[in-house]
Amino acid sequence: MSVFKDLWWYFRQEKKNYIAGVFFLLVVGLLELYPPYVVRLVVDEIKQQTLTSEKLLQWLGVLALTALLLYVLRFVWRVFIFGASYRLAQLLRRRLLNHWSRMSPQFFHRHRTGDLMAHATNDVQAVQATAGEGVLTLVDSIVFGGLVVAMMAISLSWKLTLIALLPMPILALAITYYGKWMHERFRTAQAAFSDINDKVQENISGVRVVKSFGREEREKASFMTLSEDVTRKNLAVAKVQSLFGPTISLIAGIAFFLAIVFGSRYVIRGEMTIGQLTQFTIYLGLLIWPMLAFGFLFNILQRGRASYARIRTLLAVKEDVQENKGAISTPATGDIQLNIHSFTYTEANVPVLRDVNVFVKKGETLGIVGRTGSGKSTLFKLLMREMDMVDGEIQIGGKSLTDYQLSALRFAFGYVPQDPFLFSTTIAKNIAFADPKASQEEIEAAARLACVHEDILAFEKGYETVVGERGVTLSGGQKQRISIARALLMDPEILILDDSLSAVDARTEEAILTELRREREGKTTLIAAHRFSGVEHAEQIIVLEDGQIQEKGTHKQLLANSGWYAWMYRQQQLESLIVKGGGGG
Amino acid sequence: MITRRLLRYLIPHRKALIGAFFFLFIATAAEMTGPLLIKVFIDDYLVPERFPSTPLIFLGASYLGLHLIAVVLQYLQQYSFYRIALAVIQQLRMDVFGKVQYLGLAFFDRVADGSLVSRITNDTEAIKELFVNVMSTFIKNSVLIIGVVIAMFLLDTKLAMISFILLPLLFGLMQAYRFLSFKVYRVVRETLSEMNARLSESIQGMGVVQAWRQEKRFADEFDEVNEQHVQANVKNMKLNSLLLRPAVDILSIATLIVILTYFGIGVGDSAVQIGVLYAMINLLGRLFEPVNQIMMQLSFLQQAIVSAGRVFELLDEKELAPSKEGEGNPEIQEGRITFEHVTFSYDGKTNVLKDISFVVEPGQTVALVGHTGSGKSTINNLLMRFYSLQQGRITIDGNPLETFVDQELRKQVGLVPQDPFLFVGTIRDNIRQGNDALTDEVVQGAAELVQADSFIEKLPGGMNEPVVERGATFSSGQRQLLAFARTMAQSPKILILDEATAHVDTETEEKIQEALYRMRQGRTTLAIAHRLSTIQDADLILVLHQGEIVERGTHQELLTRQGLYHKMYLLQQGLKEEVNV
Repeated sequence: MSVFKDLWWYFRQEKKNYIAGVFFLLVVGLLELYPPYVVRLVVDEIKQQTLTSEKLLQWLGVLALTALLLYVLRFVWRVFIFGASYRLAQLLRRRLLNHWSRMSPQFFHRHRTGDLMAHATNDVQAVQATAGEGVLTLVDSIVFGGLVVAMMAISLSWKLTLIALLPMPILALAITYYGKWMHERFRTAQAAFSDINDKVQENISGVRVVKSFGREEREKASFMTLSEDVTRKNLAVAKVQSLFGPTISLIAGIAFFLAIVFGSRYVIRGEMTIGQLTQFTIYLGLLIWPMLAFGFLFNILQRGRASYARIRTLLAVKEDVQENKGAISTPATGDIQLNIHSFTYTEANVPVLRDVNVFVKKGETLGIVGRTGSGKSTLFKLLMREMDMVDGEIQIGGKSLTDYQLSALRFAFGYVPQDPFLFSTTIAKNIAFADPKASQEEIEAAARLACVHEDILAFEKGYETVVGERGVTLSGGQKQRISIARALLMDPEILILDDSLSAVDARTEEAILTELRREREGKTTLIAAHRFSGVEHAEQIIVLEDGQIQEKGTHKQLLANSGWYAWMYRQQQLESLIVKGGGGG
Repeated sequence: MITRRLLRYLIPHRKALIGAFFFLFIATAAEMTGPLLIKVFIDDYLVPERFPSTPLIFLGASYLGLHLIAVVLQYLQQYSFYRIALAVIQQLRMDVFGKVQYLGLAFFDRVADGSLVSRITNDTEAIKELFVNVMSTFIKNSVLIIGVVIAMFLLDTKLAMISFILLPLLFGLMQAYRFLSFKVYRVVRETLSEMNARLSESIQGMGVVQAWRQEKRFADEFDEVNEQHVQANVKNMKLNSLLLRPAVDILSIATLIVILTYFGIGVGDSAVQIGVLYAMINLLGRLFEPVNQIMMQLSFLQQAIVSAGRVFELLDEKELAPSKEGEGNPEIQEGRITFEHVTFSYDGKTNVLKDISFVVEPGQTVALVGHTGSGKSTINNLLMRFYSLQQGRITIDGNPLETFVDQELRKQVGLVPQDPFLFVGTIRDNIRQGNDALTDEVVQGAAELVQADSFIEKLPGGMNEPVVERGATFSSGQRQLLAFARTMAQSPKILILDEATAHVDTETEEKIQEALYRMRQGRTTLAIAHRLSTIQDADLILVLHQGEIVERGTHQELLTRQGLYHKMYLLQQGLKEEVNV
């Protein structure tokens, strides 16, 4: 029941709907008591042979009206209560999404997509069921059940009520017990199902090995074992599931039997009429559902409580990066001053960056090179304030990053990652992602700058081609270039290319870089690259190793240095010759 | 069409099915007798107020006895239907999994792993719902309805006939619901999957959304689908409220009115039997619950049919793995391989291999080098017969590749893939590859040959140490050694090595090189090499570039030629220096 307390804020918020819904549900309950009463009147009048057609017409007329009213009210309460429960689910989903949109990338590293999705789907579903079916079963089992029992006891015979109800608690107990039992077995069966899921996944990922060892038949055999296990565990569920119907039937049958046997005595003694006995047994039939509802209620509430707790825990996670009070809203602009003394990830103990002090004048280009893991991406993350650093400061235009509002800061940057994410919509919409109102001309201009215009036109639907799971699969290079176009469309103050040309061939890379130099005259660009051709023209290049600046200077200076940069540059020259297949040179 | 094909899966279970039906009929008959007995009690004993004890006890005992029988049989039939349904799904799963095992790699290249997994598991699970819930609900409740109708006829033929007006109404209601709910329910499913797709995309692309400050737009767009889903849900709920339980209830009261009128009008005749009235009302209550049950399953039926369509599509897939063609059963004795003018394309547009010819004499090692995309792996894929040849010829010991049976080929041609994919199980299972003919000695011997035994011995479980998904608990070097061992355990005549690019520590690297050297002894070897140092002793080195062999010769010959190979060699020497710095 505590979950109702947890959700009380929502019931209050939607109190009109819930009060109306529960009210009509109660009216329905009351009205349901009427038809058995008519049956009793008719039976008794027939018995005493006093039934007139006027009376019959009158009663049946009221009965017909009741039926209509019941129909309408049953519709109405559902709209009120279930409608409100759907809106609760809607609200929770919106809150989750809003919450996620404030979370930093670190949050998404900690929580896998599947887990987060489970919150938004299964857990929300369970809470919705609590606010809908949960309320319904609560009202039906306790209020409607009580109403029927009261009616039987007061207007018919309290003694007979007591006798006939003797087996009913057994039913409620059995249903609750079966529910728990089934829940356990169902979980085991689900676990077995997820085993065959894993098996199939393994089989398909390892299809080459399967084929090269000719292990198809053995794979079938092992799948068979797992699949049989699933069948066996599902059968265990079925064993319990099959109990529900017969148990209800058994208990109801005994209750009817008791009612008839003892009821007959009361009829003979004249304490009851046959009509009343008939009415009584019909009421008894009406009690089966509240008893069942009572059993279901506990399962619904139990699941709802667990799910709601999970959702609340997730919503309580605080942002990693918080905006300062009085932060300024003017977009960041100006020179960049990096003074990173030392930065360590919370879960690690070795610093990723140490003593990185760089000054980038507004309008200049900074090249960053270094092996994988040397700290290039971390540097960018700090610059964009994806996380905060304790030991050091970064300034843009003479102001610390923390002085800016997050949106003012983000406005300054155009970030292109190595493995860009495209949304499953058209190419045009992906390029115009940051500015959905961009014209087709602007989109195409950006695509031309990123040298991807021709590629796009080669698709049957051109810019209207849908990408992603439900559309065309793009090559890594195409994705990178579209993502560059997306950034160029916004013409950001500071463009960051984080190894974002790695999947593009050397010639195209050269073309893009030339376009960039022309187009971004006077704007700051930061380029991290594996291939040095990407940073050759930068005003300043830093070589990072193990989080520290090893070398610093222009391309020419670094070559003259004959350090790692110079050596690596020669290697890359050789490599490009091989890729071109240059046998003679 | 799909339904019929699904029903065909029931044929092997016809005996069990007949048994279940038998239980069902008896249970239903026993259940229907209950109200009839009460009718007898009311009309013959209660109304005339005659209470002879023997017949009454007999009546009571029969009521309870029949009820007990009904309950037990109900349980048995319900369980039988479940069991049959689960057996059918088991068979269907085996069929589709078995089918997938023999599909060609070209099929796997084309179809995303995820959707394939989902068809074998989730879609069959949806069909399970069909058999388990829909089928048993339909059968059970239909029989129940028929039982009620028969009981009504036994009680009062005229009244039963009048009540029959109800049947077309019920049928109409069901058809209307089926027709309308199909559309509405589909919108519910569609908006749900649209909403989930958006959510999952938002989660994955949140970094981009934030970087470009599109949170507001995304939230607004999400609100839109969220709202659409709620609207669809509300519509579905309204439709259910209009046509399901409330509608059936109104029909139920309507029938009650008919029954009461019938008996009420009959007032004049003194012969009105209260017991019949009672039993009729009781039966009425039993008639409508099954109707509700059936109607609730209707929308699931549609869902399962869609899934079944997808599963059958996979079962009908034509893109099978290449298998033996032609007469004769050649065996691989020597291990002489020839490629003659082989040209190959995966997509039918660009040729990834162009006119490739070479010979590997028995016991020789031929190395393939070239940068990514030069066609090295394709040569392996063709020799493994993963794809059908298009142009040219490949022979082993003079026999065309197509003429070998699968077993011979898989036994004699051992592949060491670049990604040493390990299976869940134990180390022993992985080396044995499920081939029970291999003794523990052979497994041990293979491990020793590749020097994997030293690290295996150190594991707490030794050979029985569990291997988790993809062998994630082992280092990449250890995984490679295990992949070597499992190939060597089969002792193939021909080895195909696809060298791993993963970096391993120097010590393991030495072991790997030593193992590779030992493995090649006495075997024909075709090796893809990334590290040129490992193939310096190869009998022949083929340098591939864009699908063509641009240089061929021994290591020394190629170096003196100062061509592509020479450059690659220099590059790697340089990188090596770097490592040593």
